[in-house]
Amino acid sequence: MFQKILIANRGEIALRVICACKELGIRTVAVYSEADRHSLHARFADEAVCIGPAKSSRSYLDIPAVISAAEITNADAVHPGYGFLSENADFAEVCETSSLTFIGPTPAVIRKMGSKQDARTAMAEAGVPILPGSQGILQDVEDALEVAEKIGYPVMIKASAGGGGRGMRMVRNADELPHLLAQAEAEASAAFTCGDLYMEKLVENPRHIEFQVLADNYGHVEILGERECSIQRRHQKLIEESPSVAVTRELRQRISESLRVALKAVGYTNAGTVEFLMDDQGNLHFIEVNARIQVEHPVTEMVTGVDLVKAQIRIAAGERLENILPWAPGAEMTLRGHAIECRINAEHPETLVPSPGRITGFNLPGGAGIRVDTAAHHDGIIPPYYDSLVAKLIAYGGDRAEAIARMKRALDMFVVEGIYTSIPLHQKILEHPDFVAGKIDTGFLLRTGILAEKK
Amino acid sequence: MTNQEIKELLKIFNESDVAEMEVQRGNNRLRLRRAEAVKEMVVPATGHAGAAAPHAAANPKASTEPAAAAPPSTDVLVKSPIVGTFYEASSPEAAPFVKVGDRVEPGQVLCIIESMKLMNEIEADVGGVITAQLTENGRPVEYGEALFSIRPR
Repeated sequence: MFQKILIANRGEIALRVICACKELGIRTVAVYSEADRHSLHARFADEAVCIGPAKSSRSYLDIPAVISAAEITNADAVHPGYGFLSENADFAEVCETSSLTFIGPTPAVIRKMGSKQDARTAMAEAGVPILPGSQGILQDVEDALEVAEKIGYPVMIKASAGGGGRGMRMVRNADELPHLLAQAEAEASAAFTCGDLYMEKLVENPRHIEFQVLADNYGHVEILGERECSIQRRHQKLIEESPSVAVTRELRQRISESLRVALKAVGYTNAGTVEFLMDDQGNLHFIEVNARIQVEHPVTEMVTGVDLVKAQIRIAAGERLENILPWAPGAEMTLRGHAIECRINAEHPETLVPSPGRITGFNLPGGAGIRVDTAAHHDGIIPPYYDSLVAKLIAYGGDRAEAIARMKRALDMFVVEGIYTSIPLHQKILEHPDFVAGKIDTGFLLRTGILAEKK
Repeated sequence: MTNQEIKELLKIFNESDVAEMEVQRGNNRLRLRRAEAVKEMVVPATGHAGAAAPHAAANPKASTEPAAAAPPSTDVLVKSPIVGTFYEASSPEAAPFVKVGDRVEPGQVLCIIESMKLMNEIEADVGGVITAQLTENGRPVEYGEALFSIRPR
């Protein structure tokens, strides 16, 4: 087992990893930018190293700075958290050559899953349903028009090296395709230095369903059920839950089996998430693999009883999955109860304008079935340089109704003063009859009028 | 400029190290200046403005004031620009690059910070006399850690 782990991240996820390390008796090293000098993750780690100024590119994304911090503290492993360097295959490689164990998949797997096209091909070969789309990269306008005819409009053009919604264009008919194709290529070249595009059928207002993966270094892959993350605004998740009311036991088993095959074939190790869209017929379509731990991992932890971050560390240290999971390998895994997570952001609840600043009043809710993952505190500062996540509020209950009731109660008692937060927005969503009935999809916020589209 | 915006600009100004700030939005202009004596601001010879400008200000102008006659010395601190291990000399057998009392010119190599097996030469930004060495040979240093103090000429 590792003696010392450096956490290459900040905020709540850095604290989350510190928690797992403390429980496993592993010493921790935090890295922090000048803007995070007084942050909780730097204060609760055993050691902390300032690695740069506030700007991410010169601190949390600065590979030499992070690796040097590991060197001078004699860390033996690095946990990258989510975002930042977590899916950077080059960083994973530098860790290896610097004799640091990277807690995540191998560089080759990160690279493969990071190429949307390669991931689609790998999934299709294993029988995982993928969205009808182009076979590989679009060659030119003629090719694109042909593919679009075959799969049927509307279609989505996407950047192969892309993410975050860039290099993406929705095309409703053949007339608009040529110029939208050119736009997408220009955007992709600028953002990712690779203008390669592919095409997928557009599913309108889908449900977003994702499956949690854990795999050890010996070829054993387990799927720990699904999460539904349909409440989103502009591809940013606001509320996640497990299980999904739209996923039957049969569907879960069928998809889990084909994912096990697919991920074993690509040599997947450690934690990951496979994302799908569900159309209005209840069919799942693969979109991408995130080769890291995700923000919303707590809801899976609540309904499976598995500490995913500790599992990541133990897998990286060479332990076998059968010694980490509480059920026999290959046995049907059951999800117990229901968990919901609200991402409390530092933003105005209606305009969603970011609201960084000093927290002048702070009260965390507690009580039965409530978990809060946060690095915020009274008198703490939410800096303007990073994401706006203040806290993750997770409610767990015997069923979805109890989880909702506990979440509403907890939101009422969550006090944050000095900055705006999305708490009132979450309260509105939880009250809405469609949410309570489970009638949700990625168009929920606009459809219900809870949020107006920005012009 | 609404009262809320003014309040927010005040908050940003108070939480920063900036001595003076002027913001123009449309026809409104707001200038803020600290009342108390200003600590000396280090303006490196390379001309790079170090203070992080408040993010929300539309056209911030941070100006530095001359050093007040304050108890802290007028020495300039040489801070590490990277994380790594501090070495006084180019090799274990070589003599240190500088010692206390030496005169140095801008651009003169003061020490080496080793990072990922690469030796980075750290140069003086200002000319003057080395008044102190603030870390030890072979010690790890973090970003921003003080290495030397120099009394500028």
